Amino acid sequence: MSVFQYIADNWGVIEPQIVTHLEIVGECIAITSLIGLGLGIAAARSEPLSTVIMAVTSTILTVPSFALFGLLSIWFGLANPPVIVGLVLYGLLPVTRNTRAGIKAVDLAVVESARGMGMSPLQVLLQVELPLAVPVILGGIRQATVMIVAIATVGATVGVDDLGQTILSAIGRTTGTIDAVLAGIIPVALIGILADLILAGIQRALSRGRVSVAAT
Amino acid sequence: MITFDRVVKRYGNSVAVDHLSLQIKSGETVILVGPSGCGKTTSLKMINRLIEPTEGTISIDDRDTRTYDVNDLRRSIGYVIQQVGLFPHQTVAENVATVPRLLKWPKQRIQARVEELLDLIGLPAAQHAKRLPSELSGGERQRVGVARALGADPNILLMDEPFGAIDPIARERLQNELLRLQRVVRKTIVFVTHDIDEAVKLGDRVALLSKGGVLEQFATPEELLAHPQSKFVTEFLGEGPLVRRLALIPISEVALTPVNGAAPAESVDAGGTLRDALDAVLRSSDGRVGVVKGDQTLGIVDADVIRSASMRSR
Ligand SMILES: Nc1ncnc2c1ncn2[C@@H]1O[C@H](COP(=O)(O)OP(=O)(O)O)[C@@H](O)[C@H]1O
Ligand SMILES: [Mg+2]
Repeated sequence: MSVFQYIADNWGVIEPQIVTHLEIVGECIAITSLIGLGLGIAAARSEPLSTVIMAVTSTILTVPSFALFGLLSIWFGLANPPVIVGLVLYGLLPVTRNTRAGIKAVDLAVVESARGMGMSPLQVLLQVELPLAVPVILGGIRQATVMIVAIATVGATVGVDDLGQTILSAIGRTTGTIDAVLAGIIPVALIGILADLILAGIQRALSRGRVSVAAT
Repeated sequence: MITFDRVVKRYGNSVAVDHLSLQIKSGETVILVGPSGCGKTTSLKMINRLIEPTEGTISIDDRDTRTYDVNDLRRSIGYVIQQVGLFPHQTVAENVATVPRLLKWPKQRIQARVEELLDLIGLPAAQHAKRLPSELSGGERQRVGVARALGADPNILLMDEPFGAIDPIARERLQNELLRLQRVVRKTIVFVTHDIDEAVKLGDRVALLSKGGVLEQFATPEELLAHPQSKFVTEFLGEGPLVRRLALIPISEVALTPVNGAAPAESVDAGGTLRDALDAVLRSSDGRVGVVKGDQTLGIVDADVIRSASMRSR
């Protein structure tokens, strides 16, 4: 297999690209999850706010990634910063939408009995609504992750030295184009699959935890 | 003691509860009954301030509920709803521990309390503490809901059609259990239902409401059935209120005719009600029924005994 030959030959270049890719993806998921959670909670609480938030987060997704990164580089300079901001923006829709949906799906009787027993709004959110919404929210984070892992490659267009560079450098080559493209794509796919597996594991662990950890 | 003083709740132009004045004594079970949409739930939820009155005041032991911190108020009042609303991600024990946990009781005290309550509702902790709500039957869920409401030993228990979604056989059992429970815990219970038979069975007093939360009559079940105060009450009581009332009078409280000579062929258990006695009288060939306790015949009941007993307690 000449792809793996290519990867082996260029490992000195590809390895740091994998590290950069992982760093960017990790940061973006963490940030987009936090912001998306906040926006989702706000959207679940207020219908007018929800309309605005959903409109904005969906519109962001319609902007082509290289255009968004290019635009953001006007304010954030080149390389990582505009890409991190852009990827965070892309990830907002699935996280926000699922957080809102997960909270809204909680049985109204459960919420009413919680309030009736004297839980404050914050306690209802933290002890009842969010724990019950966790599987749905993590579903949104998984969607965002797969998207971010893939779109991060486009960051190469504004100078990010991640796996996108390997793909980008292949374009215009007279020979070995396919090998070079695959040398970028295969690690990206592996990162995507790995990240998804890890999150699926967390999703399962947290579902278990919701049952037993709260015991005391 | 819970006092409604000219309480009004309006939604826009429509009046859900209209100048309701009502006094519920400590330790009594008061049933709010009436047709659907007459304002029962609204009245109940104004007690724990899930709904705020538009006008008037509700006080508990002469203190206006508005002067309490709303969460403190709710933690001091048990609340049970028809859909129960158990936390599906928590075990039975965790659910029952909700209010004690909110009140930051020490762990041991919470655990002891949970075990006590699970015993009280007949779901001993050893077998049931670790179960999830999804693993319980409808009746079991409702009992856990009651245990959860009793969590921090509140003086007041609010119940909104708690047995409305339960099949008739299990419902009857839950009603009997509530009566038994109430003899043990002696709470002030405000219980909402649209079922007059349930109201008459469970209530020390019954408040019958009509559309717009108008209080039609507030009386003991016996009084209500014997002396309906308005056409609305009569219609709501439906057919045969006096026959239904017999179900409220224990045979043990009735003056029986002494047995003279041979005991009658037909008999009824002394632990039953006059309604059981009437049933036996109708079944008998000569209208005479022996009231038995074990293998002893205490006396004789017939149509005259039943009629005079029902007259006297009017
Ligand atoms: N949030 C609300 N907004 C407007 N009207 C309401 C609201 N809640 C209840 N109502 C109205 O108030 C009346 C009493 O409702 P409710 O107390 O729930 O009746 P019940 O419990 O006796 O069936 C009904 O006519 C109902 O439509
Ligand atoms: Mg109701």
